[in-house]
Amino acid sequence: MAENRNIIVGLDGVPFGMIKDFTESGVMPNTSKLLNDSVLTPMYSTVPEISSVAWSSIITGANPAEHGIFGFIDLHPNSYKMRFPNFNDLRAATFWENCEGPSVIVNVPSTYPVRSMNGVHVSGFVSIDYEKSVYPESLVSTLKGLEYRLDVDSMLAHKSMDVFLDDLDRTVDARISSIQTFWDQCKWQNFMFVFTGTDRLMHFLWDAYDDKGHKYHRKFLEYFSKIDAAIGRIIDLSENSDSVILLSDHGFEKLDHDVFVSKILAEEGFLHFNPSEESSLQNIGPKTKAFALDPARIYLNRKDKYPCGSVEEKDANEILNQLEELFSSLEIDGRKVIKHIFKKEDVYEGPYFKDAPDLVLIGDTGFNLKATTAGKSRFGKGIFTGKHTYHDAFLAVKSKNRNISFDKQPSVIDAGKLIRSLTK
Amino acid sequence: MSNNLSHLDALENNSIFIIREAYSQFRNVAILWSIGKDSTTLLWLVRKAFFGQIPFPVLHIDTTYKFPEIYDFREKYAKEWGLNLLVTKNEEALAAGMGPDKSKFQCCNDLKTVALKQAIAKYKFNALYLGIRRDEHGIRAKERVFSPRDEDFEWDYKNQPPELWDQYKTKATEEEHLRVHPLLGWREIDIWEYTKRENIPVNDLYYAKDGKRYRSIGCHTCCGPIDSNAGTVDEIITELANTDISERSGRAQDKEDDYMMQKLRSLGYM
Repeated sequence: MAENRNIIVGLDGVPFGMIKDFTESGVMPNTSKLLNDSVLTPMYSTVPEISSVAWSSIITGANPAEHGIFGFIDLHPNSYKMRFPNFNDLRAATFWENCEGPSVIVNVPSTYPVRSMNGVHVSGFVSIDYEKSVYPESLVSTLKGLEYRLDVDSMLAHKSMDVFLDDLDRTVDARISSIQTFWDQCKWQNFMFVFTGTDRLMHFLWDAYDDKGHKYHRKFLEYFSKIDAAIGRIIDLSENSDSVILLSDHGFEKLDHDVFVSKILAEEGFLHFNPSEESSLQNIGPKTKAFALDPARIYLNRKDKYPCGSVEEKDANEILNQLEELFSSLEIDGRKVIKHIFKKEDVYEGPYFKDAPDLVLIGDTGFNLKATTAGKSRFGKGIFTGKHTYHDAFLAVKSKNRNISFDKQPSVIDAGKLIRSLTK
Repeated sequence: MSNNLSHLDALENNSIFIIREAYSQFRNVAILWSIGKDSTTLLWLVRKAFFGQIPFPVLHIDTTYKFPEIYDFREKYAKEWGLNLLVTKNEEALAAGMGPDKSKFQCCNDLKTVALKQAIAKYKFNALYLGIRRDEHGIRAKERVFSPRDEDFEWDYKNQPPELWDQYKTKATEEEHLRVHPLLGWREIDIWEYTKRENIPVNDLYYAKDGKRYRSIGCHTCCGPIDSNAGTVDEIITELANTDISERSGRAQDKEDDYMMQKLRSLGYM
């Protein structure tokens, strides 16, 4: 029997309130048993509250300015051309690279493409090429044999919810089969896997959770029951001495309005596009003072940083104040739109501080912030019924070896530090 | 193979053997000519194998987005070499406005893969010669010289006949067609050294202009030049001997980015 083994289970986007609800109402009885032996706490996500940033902090224990991932999208240096940071851009070591024992890592977002490590690694969202998603490569055929899919096809939800739900089921079934296979066949000290279908389900069908009469309410609950059964199986197979961490990376809630941050910046004179060209970041005009990247990271168009930069260092604070004033007073139907405005220096610390956004906005209840320049008006509503939240991810820790307690609500960075200390 | 042969002679001999072997098994064949350096080298070898007169069609899948220099090259040498040139396009997709601005993935699929399927259905080819090389991409390392594709065009790389000691399986079922890869064992630098030795015509896009040249050519919308001052075949050979950057890195990244964008869009980003 191995000593000091660690099992880390991620439920992407599952809020504290939902895990409480499902474990108390009998939807997730196995998870309920696990929580009875665990310390459970609500948890803050990262800023911004999205999976790429949050899981990067969870697996490294590092602040975004230390690991260098600030979003799914970033810009090439001295350019407005978009790029998509991936695992190669992660600037901090993961816990599995910092410990001696072997690890099995399955479906952790933003860990594509995989690299050599001690154990098994199957990367999560956004994984593209199967061959670059599996380490060691010899396991590709095993996974294909299990009909393992890298990800659910979320585009299906835009066409047919039934087909999407079928795809979601098949993806999670194969994911669970792979976890069982690796559990049975691999030697490991740390075993981490993440269920990401939870996030997809809540994006498209939060209303089915809220509304008991909804056509897909039962389906929504069944999906969580399926995950609960997998958790139960893993707990049954685990040793009493194993530490178990169950956590999410951000919370979720009902989406009332999409808020198009770039449209607001443009209407208020902060963002300009070259005339006669499409309104995209590539066509930012020289009068631009600020622009946004998803979900609501605001960057000053600094003279020394961007090709059409116009903001001098001496004017930066004044523009930031104007932006704060603009967004803190933003309302729709008498409801405040922005809950938090984080300044760079409030939340980021580390060698990549210079790459961090100047401001990050967090939407108030029901307001989903988007940076797309395609928004035709300030507010809108699309297909999505659920949105991410910053304040109510959750963390549950069961450990025989450590006395776990939290003086104040931890963040996912704290969760990452805890994982690091347990696994080293 | 004799040890007295030079490296290029050995490659040439082996390729010509494969070309003739495939033609002896499958009469209804065609060679795919993308008009890049590899397929033009293959065409050169096919011409040699059949003493200047290629006994089957030369197929060009035209996306309509190729560099103008590619069309010029095609017209010039199709005439000079007396090729039976078939140019095929997915007219339906083009009429519906398909282009790289929609989605690079979808565009490649519709204007290349589907167009090729249409051509195979129309002309009933049961084998196609392609100029792919193993060193182009990791996945191509798994390719066979005689590589079966099923009726859906799928390549089941786990279920391929072994080709030990150059023993090829040259049979295909009725539902399959075979891809024949006579250049599989060639490296990029071999192509250029052979081009030099044989004085094979080279598209000007490969030569540096204002510090940039194309290392791999296709659609002008999806190919990016690399930094280079190599203006002759000799200089290209020297450059390749001193680089560790993969030949298709620019193209592959482009496609990954496009797929990434699609995935993010499906979840409401961008």
